[in-house]
Amino acid sequence: MELLKRTIRREFWYVLFLIPGVLLFTLAVIVPLITGGRYSFTNWDGISRKLTYIGWDNYVHAVRDPDMWTALGNTFKYAIILTILVNILALLFALLLDSYLPLKNLFRTVFFLPSIISVVLAGFVWSYNYSQGFPKLLAYFGLDVTSPLGNPDYALFGLIVIAVWQGIGSPMIIYIAGLQGIPGELLESARIDGAGAFHVLRNVTLPLLAPSITINMLLVLTGSLKVFDLVLVTTNGGPGFATEVITTFVYKTAFSSFKAGYGMALSMIFFVILVIVTVVQVSIFRKREVDL
Amino acid sequence: MKGTRIIVLGVVALMAIVFLFPLYVALLMALKTAKQSFDSFYALPPSLNFSNFVHAWETSKYPTALTNSLIITLLSVTLIIVVSALSGYAVARGNKPFYNFVFLLFLSGIMVPFQVTMLPLYKLGKSLHLINNHWGIMLIYGGFGVQTGVLFFTGFVRGISREIEEAARIDGCSTPGIFVRIVMPLLKPVTATVFVLNVLYIWNDFLIPLLYLQDKHYRTIPLQQYFFFGQYSSDLNLAFAYAVMGMIPIVVFFLFMQRFIIKGIAAGAIKG
Repeated sequence: MELLKRTIRREFWYVLFLIPGVLLFTLAVIVPLITGGRYSFTNWDGISRKLTYIGWDNYVHAVRDPDMWTALGNTFKYAIILTILVNILALLFALLLDSYLPLKNLFRTVFFLPSIISVVLAGFVWSYNYSQGFPKLLAYFGLDVTSPLGNPDYALFGLIVIAVWQGIGSPMIIYIAGLQGIPGELLESARIDGAGAFHVLRNVTLPLLAPSITINMLLVLTGSLKVFDLVLVTTNGGPGFATEVITTFVYKTAFSSFKAGYGMALSMIFFVILVIVTVVQVSIFRKREVDL
Repeated sequence: MKGTRIIVLGVVALMAIVFLFPLYVALLMALKTAKQSFDSFYALPPSLNFSNFVHAWETSKYPTALTNSLIITLLSVTLIIVVSALSGYAVARGNKPFYNFVFLLFLSGIMVPFQVTMLPLYKLGKSLHLINNHWGIMLIYGGFGVQTGVLFFTGFVRGISREIEEAARIDGCSTPGIFVRIVMPLLKPVTATVFVLNVLYIWNDFLIPLLYLQDKHYRTIPLQQYFFFGQYSSDLNLAFAYAVMGMIPIVVFFLFMQRFIIKGIAAGAIKG
């Protein structure tokens, strides 16, 4: 009886400990998610008090909206290219910095530095470098270039370059940590067996690094699908529709075009896509990982 | 072997220069007058000239923005740490299906993109009077931060042996007493991780302040910069002086906390 009372009292405290976290989470995530879901079935303009339910109309409209498909296409193009580039470069830097290199802590700081600067700043600095800095530098070599951000064909790549610059830091750290977790004896014995540097990398290092690759691919891909600030402060979706991504499209639809109901439907579609991408990616990569 | 090492060093050094180049241009602009930049873009300034900084300081409300950023970041991060530590401890020690369910709920919240909750959250904030003050934005960051925070704290507490806590309980210590006297001192490493990761995120965040802090007096540094760049797009040297000023606090934070930041990111990867 005494024991039961004590257990109950303990559980009471644990539940009490949970309450603040659950309340905050409910306020910031659950309530908005539910009301957002409700709005997506209305033709609400975002201001008026009147809500008219229109069933699945917003979703039907979204599927037929060529702008949404363009925005989604841009988003995936941006995210996939960025994920591949960031991971290749971060892994390369990690491999170089993991070797016996002088000043490697200094280099690590330098490569990480851009990721701690706000996107607003990075966007501003890069826009200026694109329009003035690089053209003037390349003019010394007799090259004539203009800012990629002003050209619909290159604007998205211009953004990707900025995002790579800002995005290398964390994945690089994760790869370095992963490399340090690989037992030296394994690499040593592979070398003694006569494997060259490339073979060691391909057959020993990379398979053992699989957990780091999984997490980095996942973090960079989901993060870049959600890109928003960078687009808003540099190109604002332009020129034309060339860099309009799904988040800026949702933002403009909901806040500037007074189609809040439609905007919410778009964001719900985006949410579902994000969940599918995450689940698919996790299940693909988990299968390929090697246990030590 | 020595040859390859020199080549590798050369490649890395070259990459480092490429990485620093945009920031170098920013610094160069900030230290020159418009005429000096026009005459020769890449020439070093003839003398150290901080007039752009003085001018930017006077016109930009930089001290206000800095204070706002500091208040919002510190309040939010404190809230995140306290709430996540409590919840994380309960989840780790409760160990019943109910707690695991709450844990999974927090986890799945990470997948919800902010754009989905943005508009309802704005409406909710308006009706609860959470717009245009430090408290509202703190609660929002708290709600977002607790998701990863719980992940970190739960994982960490699960790694601590229960024996000391059981011994204290037999000696008559209550659950809050155990948490405050025994568990909290052990949580330092994971608290450092949660602290640095959230400081970096909240300090640099742009979208939530853009929605929640529309009053000029509450603007944070990134937000103030966004408007300043728009306003002074003709006086670029001034704008760059302001940009450099905006970078200084977070770069100083980074240089001092680098060890914790690196540890935190590596720890985050394992938890994920």
